[in-house]
Amino acid sequence: MNLRLERKLLIVLALGWSAWLRAADLPALWAERLKSVVVVEYYTETEIDRRPSLSYGTVIDDRGTIILPSVAVNGRATPSQLKDFKVYRPGNPASVAGEYLGQDALTGWHFVRADASIRGELTPITKFAPRTTIEPAMADEVWGIGLRSKDEDFLPYLLTSRIALVQALPQRTAIAQQEVSGPGLPVFNRDGDFIGIAASSFGQNYLQFSRDDRGGLPVIMVNVEESGAVLVAGEVLPYLGRIPKNVFGRPLAWLGAYGLEPMDPEVARFLKLGDQSAVVVSEILEGSPAEAGGLKDRDILLAIDGQPLPRFKPDRVVVGYVGREIEKRRPGDAITFTVLRGSVRTDAKIVLGEQPKLFTEAERKYFDRIGFTAREFVFDDAIARRVKATETTGVIAHFVKANGPAATAGLRIDDWIKEIDGVEVKSFSAAAVQLAAIESDKFRTECVLLVSRNGETAVLRLKL
Amino acid sequence: MSRGFNQLLDAVVRIDVRELAFEAGARRFESSIGSGVILSDDGLVLTNAHVASPRAVELSVTLASLERVNAKLVGWDHWTDLALLRLDLAEVRRRGLKFAHADFGDSDKLYVGETVYAVGTPFGLTRTATRGIISNDNRYFEDETGVDGYETGAFNTWIQTDAAINPGNSGGPLVTEDGRVVGINARGYLGADNLGFAIPANIAKRIVADLVRNGSITRSYIGLVPKELQDLESFYALALNNGLLVNNVDRGSPAARAGLRGGDILLAVNGVKVDGRFPEQLPPIQNLIASQPVGATLKLTVKRGAETRDYAVVTEKLESRVGEDWAFEKWGLSVRKVSRTYARENQLPDAVGALVIGVQPGFPANVAGVSHGDIITKVNQQPIDSLDVLKRAHAAYERKPEPVLVEVMRDRQISLYVLKP
Repeated sequence: MNLRLERKLLIVLALGWSAWLRAADLPALWAERLKSVVVVEYYTETEIDRRPSLSYGTVIDDRGTIILPSVAVNGRATPSQLKDFKVYRPGNPASVAGEYLGQDALTGWHFVRADASIRGELTPITKFAPRTTIEPAMADEVWGIGLRSKDEDFLPYLLTSRIALVQALPQRTAIAQQEVSGPGLPVFNRDGDFIGIAASSFGQNYLQFSRDDRGGLPVIMVNVEESGAVLVAGEVLPYLGRIPKNVFGRPLAWLGAYGLEPMDPEVARFLKLGDQSAVVVSEILEGSPAEAGGLKDRDILLAIDGQPLPRFKPDRVVVGYVGREIEKRRPGDAITFTVLRGSVRTDAKIVLGEQPKLFTEAERKYFDRIGFTAREFVFDDAIARRVKATETTGVIAHFVKANGPAATAGLRIDDWIKEIDGVEVKSFSAAAVQLAAIESDKFRTECVLLVSRNGETAVLRLKL
Repeated sequence: MSRGFNQLLDAVVRIDVRELAFEAGARRFESSIGSGVILSDDGLVLTNAHVASPRAVELSVTLASLERVNAKLVGWDHWTDLALLRLDLAEVRRRGLKFAHADFGDSDKLYVGETVYAVGTPFGLTRTATRGIISNDNRYFEDETGVDGYETGAFNTWIQTDAAINPGNSGGPLVTEDGRVVGINARGYLGADNLGFAIPANIAKRIVADLVRNGSITRSYIGLVPKELQDLESFYALALNNGLLVNNVDRGSPAARAGLRGGDILLAVNGVKVDGRFPEQLPPIQNLIASQPVGATLKLTVKRGAETRDYAVVTEKLESRVGEDWAFEKWGLSVRKVSRTYARENQLPDAVGALVIGVQPGFPANVAGVSHGDIITKVNQQPIDSLDVLKRAHAAYERKPEPVLVEVMRDRQISLYVLKP
């Protein structure tokens, strides 16, 4: 009788054992794969302060190249403001220097290279990618790595979950039942195969109740340390070679269409487009390849190179899809859009150009006594201010020091400075020379700026 | 108190207003209470523009005898925050009602420290008199959206008083001890201790006369936004007490077309020297320009750098920033016509379109995705250059509900939506 009971137990144990057995090698898998994971620390040096940032990264090759998610760096910062890159390994308080290589426009990844001294201790994630890339599927068991904070030496810990859903956003993204890895860190299946990289996590809706608000305040919570959204391996591995050739990630393909909006399915039905997905182009920028190729304001994009735009959910994803189709190409490449204009369907073949100078590439100089940073006026400034791109006189107030003379006089960030002391600002260098002269003149007590904000001018008098 | 003051008390009224409100995606009524003062035997009542506007559908005036009588709007002027009503004299006669009228005093003769009284209906407390002094007789107090979203205070300065002015006092008189009306109480700082503001009687006299004559006030516009020079004379190499700083020239305005621009110094208008050294001096100069006939050619003497020359500027009619409001109830959609001022301030390419000021949840506009702040630029592919375009489309929808395609601009992004039955 006793024996029979034991046998029963044994069967029960054995049933659970197979999964347990496989899990038993997890510590070994864990130890190997931990070598693909790092934390990158850097400082953003602005005019008046230095702010540290931390981001999780994944090692992609044996030269110590690391990719960081796009949100790792504030888009307003220029590469020259990013200083003192350091690379930490999990559970290790020591760091080595890193070099910032730039951002890739298509993937959004920032690339950093770790100092040669620790390259031997890093393992590229590609080592854990099987020959045939594994596409995660619903209910697959997956695991990943979480990292504690800096004062806990980025101590690694295990996160496990199951895949709940795989969706195209437009990149195929697996959504796990709960957080499965730190954003930017790899995710594996039970065999230790690389199946993707955790993206920024999605917001989750909560109701917050308090003594003052018994009705419940709707809040969206985003976990910034762990994520349940995974960019699948098939969307990662083919792009690992896109290491930028320069910090600005050039060459950058440019279309010159502004304000792409997804078409509502109701509208598609109304316009008798059937199940077709489409994108409305708000404006075609002057002097852009899109204009040269014959696109017009309010054209409705239906297809790219003969391929109808795929249908995505949410509808908005199709905008990202069109953006990626352009970013995948290089300046000089052709792209053909099928558009609906009024009730006419027509094709527009566009030869993509090179992106005009970006905000981050613009020249800038900080004048501490006057209290602001002057930045070169670039193409995007003209668009934001609805002026002709050729109208590139003046400089932009990129930063205004709180309570400084410029701030006290009413200068605000993004004001467009058109005249300094009654002299029209013809170029950035002319403004820089003039401002430097004012800055260094100890007997100067004031200067007068003519600025434009929202299309209206104002005369500002700065007391130095 | 003096006989004059007692007579004044008999001329002060309470005004109950019921007006249309369009903001909810539907036509609704709102009610409010203000004050007013009877100015003549033929029943003219002066109050604030923010008490009685053209949106009012019912104006009920409570006389000193506590009897109520209806009134109609004669005209309003939000720039000076004044509105003029006329009592229903037939009703007054039929019911044998009696009222007194008040007389204006000379507001230019007021001095700081002079005792004044405010009479009105604070918080609905009919016939409340409060006492204070003239705190300042020339206060600059411009507000671009001060009268229910309309501009005010660009063409006049204000009398400041510490006589208690609370909500409901609006439109009531500020009087001297002899009962003469020296101002119309209009505004106060909420949360402050007795910082109240009144429109000077000498401004009100002119507005009343024009409203009686024309039912509205017509002003000229050239698009020049002034700023006080205040110690910038040396920078611009100017003699003291002459010149006005041009802070901005509105895009597409007569002054812009004539070639004026921000940073210019306006020295004279039609040969009359202007002095805009201090903010308090700006409203009279603005008024000088505004009071020229529409279509007149002004000679502006302008200094730019070392050069001084004359510019000929042809005036246009001044328009308000607030366009016509309307509610399309079957769509659950309230809109306001985009005005030139709104288009300019929001850097829209033109004044085509209707700004969405309200949507009703669960109605077609809301269900389709249209939201507050959007600008509807086209309906069924037709540009909305006037609200009539939308009104026609809505009328057709009322007759036969069929899907309607609208083009919407939201922060420069164009989207299409279908309003479905």
